[in-house]
Amino acid sequence: MAEQFELSSPPFDSISTVRFSPTNPSHLLVSSWDTTVRLYDVNANEQKSKFDHRAAVLTCCFSDADHAFSGGLETSVRELDLITEKEHHLGQHSDAVSAMRHAKDPNVLITGSWDRTLRFWDPRAPTPQQSSHTVPERIYQLDLANHTLVVAMASRLFNIYDIRKMDTAAQTRESSLKFMTRALACMADGQGFATASVEGRIAVEYFDPSPEIQDKRYAFKCHRQTIDDVDHVWPVNALAFHPIYNTFASAGSDGSVSIWDHKLKKRLRLYNKYHSAVPSIDFNSDGTKLAVGVSYNWDDGEDGSKTAERPSVFIRAVGDEVKPKGWTGN
Amino acid sequence: MAKKKNKQANRGAGTVSESSKMRKVILMQHQKAKHFKCNLCPRRLNTAGGLAVHIQQVHKLEPENLPRIDNALPGRDGYEVEIFGMEGIPAPDVADYKRRKEIELGLNPGSISQPQAKRPKVDNRPLSEDELRAQLEAHKALMGGADKAVATQSADSSGAVFGAPPQAYAAPPVPAASPPVVPPMGMPPPGVPPFMPGMPPPPGFPGGPPFGMQGMPPGPPPPGFPMPPFPGAPGMLPPGMPPFPPGARPPFPPPSFAPPGMLPVFSPPPAVTPVPSTPASASISPPPPPTFVSASNQSMIPAPQTAPAELKLPDPSLSQTNPPFKKPTELKWSDPNFSPEEKRAISSKYSLSKDLTNQAKSEGQSTATPPYEESRGKKRARAEDFL
Repeated sequence: MAEQFELSSPPFDSISTVRFSPTNPSHLLVSSWDTTVRLYDVNANEQKSKFDHRAAVLTCCFSDADHAFSGGLETSVRELDLITEKEHHLGQHSDAVSAMRHAKDPNVLITGSWDRTLRFWDPRAPTPQQSSHTVPERIYQLDLANHTLVVAMASRLFNIYDIRKMDTAAQTRESSLKFMTRALACMADGQGFATASVEGRIAVEYFDPSPEIQDKRYAFKCHRQTIDDVDHVWPVNALAFHPIYNTFASAGSDGSVSIWDHKLKKRLRLYNKYHSAVPSIDFNSDGTKLAVGVSYNWDDGEDGSKTAERPSVFIRAVGDEVKPKGWTGN
Repeated sequence: MAKKKNKQANRGAGTVSESSKMRKVILMQHQKAKHFKCNLCPRRLNTAGGLAVHIQQVHKLEPENLPRIDNALPGRDGYEVEIFGMEGIPAPDVADYKRRKEIELGLNPGSISQPQAKRPKVDNRPLSEDELRAQLEAHKALMGGADKAVATQSADSSGAVFGAPPQAYAAPPVPAASPPVVPPMGMPPPGVPPFMPGMPPPPGFPGGPPFGMQGMPPGPPPPGFPMPPFPGAPGMLPPGMPPFPPGARPPFPPPSFAPPGMLPVFSPPPAVTPVPSTPASASISPPPPPTFVSASNQSMIPAPQTAPAELKLPDPSLSQTNPPFKKPTELKWSDPNFSPEEKRAISSKYSLSKDLTNQAKSEGQSTATPPYEESRGKKRARAEDFL
């Protein structure tokens, strides 16, 4: 069954982010360490447009069908017009831009950086930067569920904000995992989020601070293998929730991708291993496809990059394996 | 190497002895340990089908994406064939194996794969006068001492007497390794190098009746005996050439961002900035992608004055340490304070000089406060030269 295929013109260097369009289920944005952001039409398996940057691009996101944003080591935030291939420079962080999300309401771009600030941008305003919020540590990941913004930082810190009142964090948490936070994704139903660490472990957490809800949070081990009585433990690089079924996928440096049902605490599927680490995954808007970026992830530093395999982007059609058992469609 | 059948060929179902039972147990232990072991947990299964069901149900792997069976023969790493011990080996494979074994041992075709009925029934009784004479005739014929007529006649008569396959005498044998030999006492035991009658038997070859050993080669083929060419089902790879696992590709070094032709412009200090593209990697890597305009090329190369990059904790009070592990563990990313991306960003290949950062800012319509005022100046001017 040909349920996955590889994009024909992948980036030349490691993939940092793969992100599907919020409206078009076949448009995929891929940012890469080869300093580009590329837009693909995955149904036609063709590259639609490409944007060159001055340095590696760490993150990108769509705002609507025709506009996207990018940020990376060059520290500036760019708006990309996907039709005309024109770029608009919105402004700059003082260190690399590591994560970004676009909020629909209010219509705003949120970026996080290693410079320990969270900045809000409105691309149409004469001064695009709307606000800057200082956080205690370098921002590694951020994700948004409705109005709730979760920011994952170095030193295992988490801040949770309501984006309508950004003056203080609604909650500050320390990670329930003992190792560096590596991935973060908010649930599709907005009840909570999942986070993962470099030590092959995923935690499922809930926003509601009441004790009975907080009691439900848990963590589990994954992306590891015992070889000759030694536990080999890979970082979990990416998490992505399915937009309809609210199950989630995890991707690790071991090159594997798993689908989990976090309510039943069960693994639904373990896909075949890919040739290299998986730095990023994303479901498309109608939940029929999973984009899997496969490339070396710097886990062995510069030495590892010399023997790394060519990066690739796989598009996998997902079927019933992402459906929770007994799904009735609520 | 060989899967499932690298033990003795299953000869004569009627002769199930203690040792063959033992061999069966050992074979099944081997299968469980080497072939039908789950990669994801310590579980060992008896058959390929059992392993498939286990992986699908316990580890939720897709049925069509099961891992190949370990250590299997090429072409036999799937789950289609259900083998349990010696049972269930497909008939063509058994025949194939026996044929291979025959060639390997220098036997006549059919001596293993044909039923045992060919075995002479008169082995142990003393030879009669006639028989002795016939044998002598046959021997003479073979030694070329007798004329053709005698040879044919004696061959005819001896054929009936010995019950040996006629083609051993008449047709020149197919495999070159089985010369026409008439030993004094019927067929030679297989696997023994041919020797001529009249010569002293090679050491280790007892003069007594060797027939109990028929079909059982005394140990492995002699060293130096060339392995027969792998008969090979269609589509098989030659042995010793591991098939590429699906999806795997030859290593592909990441493209270097600095074409060698551009380097002289920079004259990088030898100690600090390693040249990104070594000749070795350049020779195997494809030409740099044409889409890189020179500006972006140059931006990837650290400016000459860049100090060795170092990561500093912005708030050392928040410094992390990884807790110890209870079990022996190999953590693939063990730095508790810096992510792989941060380490990668400061490596010479990716680090972006602050001058260029500044310039990017000044090109855009940014209103943010310039973050790196102090680094402007001479360096900046040099950076502009490049662009």
